[in-house]
Amino acid sequence: MFDRDPAGVRIELRELTKHYPGQPAPAVDNVSLDIPAGELVVFVGPSGCGKTTTMKMINRLVEPTSGQIRIGGQDVLGLHPDELRRHIGYAIQQVGLFPHLTVGQNVAMVPKLLGWPAAKVAARVEELLELVSLDPGTFRDRFPRQLSGGQQQRVGVARALAADPPVMLMDEPFGATDPITREHLQNEFAKLQKQLRKTIIFVTHDFEEAIKLGDRIAVLRERSHIAQYDTPANILAAPADDYVAGFIGQDATLKRLALLRVEDVPYESPLPDPALPAVAAGAALREALDAMVARGADRCSTPSGVITYAELCAAVGPGAATGTATATGTAANAAQEEVTAGDR
Amino acid sequence: MTFSEYVVSRWGTLSLAAAEHALVVAIAIGIATAVGVGIGLLTYETPKARGASLALSAGILTIPSLALLTLLIPITGLGWGSTLIALTGYAFLPIIRNTVTGLRGVDAATVEAGRGMGLSSARVLLRVRLPLAWPLILAGVRISTQMLIGIAAIAAYVDGPGLGNQIFEGLARLGSVNSLNATLAGTLGIVVIAVLFDAGFSAVRLLTTPRGLRVRP
Repeated sequence: MFDRDPAGVRIELRELTKHYPGQPAPAVDNVSLDIPAGELVVFVGPSGCGKTTTMKMINRLVEPTSGQIRIGGQDVLGLHPDELRRHIGYAIQQVGLFPHLTVGQNVAMVPKLLGWPAAKVAARVEELLELVSLDPGTFRDRFPRQLSGGQQQRVGVARALAADPPVMLMDEPFGATDPITREHLQNEFAKLQKQLRKTIIFVTHDFEEAIKLGDRIAVLRERSHIAQYDTPANILAAPADDYVAGFIGQDATLKRLALLRVEDVPYESPLPDPALPAVAAGAALREALDAMVARGADRCSTPSGVITYAELCAAVGPGAATGTATATGTAANAAQEEVTAGDR
Repeated sequence: MTFSEYVVSRWGTLSLAAAEHALVVAIAIGIATAVGVGIGLLTYETPKARGASLALSAGILTIPSLALLTLLIPITGLGWGSTLIALTGYAFLPIIRNTVTGLRGVDAATVEAGRGMGLSSARVLLRVRLPLAWPLILAGVRISTQMLIGIAAIAAYVDGPGLGNQIFEGLARLGSVNSLNATLAGTLGIVVIAVLFDAGFSAVRLLTTPRGLRVRP
């Protein structure tokens, strides 16, 4: 349906507006946004800011008042809405599984609508259930009411992926689960997306989730006005204004440390030192900092070498996110230390 | 003559009356279900049409059955015709009401997911809303049936079919031979029919409710 290049399809929103009749102001006002192919873009903003409405215009569950939507170069508003939706994965917070159909039948719905042969549908159901870590033998013939919340969310994601759509729309798909399950689902989904590289629009009001999953984040204010649209690291390093800063909260630097891996900073020595607090390979710098603070040390050991507190500071110092960390590292260190001294 | 002797001696008349009673109710329920569910499907989304259909069917139910049957005599005459029309009219309210409530009560998220997946509105209605509303629709039909079995007794006044004739004959001759037996036979016959219909509905409910709605978590 859409022209796919190897990276997937890109989505372009142009001057998109939704004005409900009888409302004084538009719900979504003149939004223009480019979503690169194969990236996960998070719309984050307070309740009622129009983020869900903006998303629902893309699969035309909400018809735009004016503006343009292009998916893979194709003008979406010129397509039949039902046909369009069969090629866009859709997952919502309440999941909305069909309670009278089995898990397998739920997942098979769209492929069947698209006229896939039965054998291909059955194979696809099997493949998808495995992809979302549900054993097909156990779960295929169960009914949604027999599943836990987390399992239902997985089936919801599998169902959205069923016909291998190049584009997915996800509206707080993990919002209704308990914190532990949510974290687990987020991690699994992040891993899945690395492998699938779908073009995804993900709506949430949880900024932590946005940082964790997003390739880019669009911070929205009321009427879906874009306050800032950038990578998580750039938004954390340089929030556009107080509104965005308010969303990030007081611990922007810690959040940035959570985005960086121990492999991202230069090692002081290439050998691990068993005398120092240790963190695992691939751990976030935030964990490294945690280990140092806990032991009162200024360095810690990873399997591939020793990293220092100074390097940690350099990695998140001013200018670090734009890629000039090494050039300004020393100055940043000095500034950081001054601030720390001032705090005392 | 004891009651059992009465039943045995009049078995032919009684069983025919009972069969007719059951038949007239079954036909009226059949028509009312087809029309009522149809009206529910057509009007559940439009508040005005929905309100009108519910008000009209509720209005019919407020007319006393004796009055309605009598009013129908000049139009459809005595016997089956008037009986069927009156019974069908009385059956609409529970059926339309439950159909509308059932269709509207389907979880909004389930419908939204269906729409978002690319199911047309007709498919959402027939493959999602209707199966999920079915247990409630069936409950409406069941209530209507129980109601009609009782009302059908009154049809004897317009020379209609059924066990009502036994009851009214008995009451008219109260004190004379077999009058109590006739009234009792008619009344008990109606109770038996009601119990049998209800058992039938239990079976239908069990066989037609989607398994996914019956399973325990």
